[in-house]
Amino acid sequence: MIKRLIATLAVATLALTAAVRAEDKPAKVTVGYLNLVNAQLVTKHLGLLAKEMPGVDIKYVKIGGGGDMLRAIAGNDVDFGDLGNPPTAIGATRALPIKGILVINMLDYVESMVVRTDKNITSLKDLKGKTVAAPFGSTTHYLLLQALKDEGVDPASMKILDLAPSDIAAAWLRGDIDAAWFWEPNLGKAVKNGGKILVTSGDMAKRGYPTWDIGVVMNAFAEKYPSYVDKFIRAECEGIEFWLKNPEKTAEIIAEELSLAIEDAQRMMEGTGMVPCNRQLTEEYLGTSAKKGKFVDTLVSTADFLVKQERLPKLLPRADFEAFIQPAYLEKVIGR
Amino acid sequence: MSVEASPMAIPISADRTRRGSLPLRLPKVSRSVLLSTLTVAVLLAGWAIVTERGWANELFLPKPQAVWAAFVKTMTRGYQGATLFQHLGASLCRILTAFTLACLIGIPLGVIMGVSRNARALLNPLIEFYRPLPPLGLYTLLVMWLGIGESSKLSLLFLAGLPGIVISTIQAVTSVDPVYVRAAQSLGATRRHLLFHVYLPAAGPLILAGMRISLGFTYTVLVAAEIVAASAGIGWMIWDAAKFLLSDIVIMGLIVLGLTGVALDLIMRGIAKLLMPWA
Repeated sequence: MIKRLIATLAVATLALTAAVRAEDKPAKVTVGYLNLVNAQLVTKHLGLLAKEMPGVDIKYVKIGGGGDMLRAIAGNDVDFGDLGNPPTAIGATRALPIKGILVINMLDYVESMVVRTDKNITSLKDLKGKTVAAPFGSTTHYLLLQALKDEGVDPASMKILDLAPSDIAAAWLRGDIDAAWFWEPNLGKAVKNGGKILVTSGDMAKRGYPTWDIGVVMNAFAEKYPSYVDKFIRAECEGIEFWLKNPEKTAEIIAEELSLAIEDAQRMMEGTGMVPCNRQLTEEYLGTSAKKGKFVDTLVSTADFLVKQERLPKLLPRADFEAFIQPAYLEKVIGR
Repeated sequence: MSVEASPMAIPISADRTRRGSLPLRLPKVSRSVLLSTLTVAVLLAGWAIVTERGWANELFLPKPQAVWAAFVKTMTRGYQGATLFQHLGASLCRILTAFTLACLIGIPLGVIMGVSRNARALLNPLIEFYRPLPPLGLYTLLVMWLGIGESSKLSLLFLAGLPGIVISTIQAVTSVDPVYVRAAQSLGATRRHLLFHVYLPAAGPLILAGMRISLGFTYTVLVAAEIVAASAGIGWMIWDAAKFLLSDIVIMGLIVLGLTGVALDLIMRGIAKLLMPWA
């Protein structure tokens, strides 16, 4: 008994000293990921992060939407997360201790507005008097309000409800709502049950309102374990590469991760834009440390919109959004 | 039933009348008011100091002035299309409707279960089973059954309030002194007489106490009820503001919620005094 105790103690001490010696090694890394269709699922499924970080306890937490992710970040519950541009604008404005380090995905028709076929809705103007749902604070809520504004339709002329994506699917099946702007994998359920797509997020990107998700890291984590930020990026980049090179295997992985049919997974994948890591440093996306790219423009215009909606108290100067985007880690990984 | 019950009843009722007419109460009340004010003042001062010194991140704990500013702004310009009064009105409307329904169904149910042992045996499993269920667990099912509209919200609030009323009414009715009942019966009282002139007046104070507790329960699930697909209401306002990290609105909403709860309880007590001066 005592022998065993001593042995355990010895092992524990050994482990402890080892941990101390390898200074920059976190005991545990928590990755918050959104319930979306993107290469993060591939990285997770293939265990690429574990390969990059041997001996580290890796925990994946699925988070319902941008609002919940903000709360998780504010509560310091995750080390890495991802956020759409509206929650990012909110987080940056409220000075959450995070930095944007990686393009997770560009949103095309994986996020769309679905309308009930039997309600004769052919344009946004037909939504007057109808019940429309969107997860408030998310990319789609932002696009919904933006689209209504562009078409000159008063949002007060319809009933806009705040529902989580899974609740939208349930409310749709019950017939409680006439239209909803949200994302896969739940979007497909609405389309299959008497719905058709009216506008996609890709359409809105063409009109000058791109939406995307960006990978973020907590500042404290990045300061303490900078090399682990590189490892995270390397793993995610590998996942993106796999997605782009092996579409069939990826579809199988997505189908398994989200319990979908293969053809659904394929359709959803086509509606998501994955950006290879070396292209992320171009003008179109993050840009470089010396010259930040268009993501900053999107953040500024999103924040400006949210200020006008009275969801944010004030518009920060552009420099603050530039400081939020940090391509430095990705530059190191790519080798520039 | 037993003979011992009757002498027991006398000291209790005598004690009650004596306690009711205590003349020396005023100074004690003002002292307790003073102490209560002290608690509030210390809390507010602590809040002000912590935020002024910058010990707390303003994202999580904004300054009292910021919360006050949020209050003024929401009163005058509103939050997302409705003023504070409209939000409060929407919430109070839900609470009071659900609570009234809970009383209308809960009190008769409690009386029946209190008077008749058979009714109690029949209904007890139902009440006892769902009483400890967490409201949020129930809510997912309610939303599936009743949809995202008002009916699921009202049902949740109703179900939160019901067991408290039923159980306290049962207790109130069963603790009515059997001497009263027998005395009335010997004078030729019918069942109807018994109900309205013996059971209800005697059980009234305890039933009202149960109603107060049940109103409190209804109130505690308000935010939960307004999370799903509401577009007005204090609970919704708090939930929505949290999504945008507007902590000044969140704290302001919580304070309003707390004060409204206290006001509702005071009103209930006032009604109790008015209806049952003998309590």
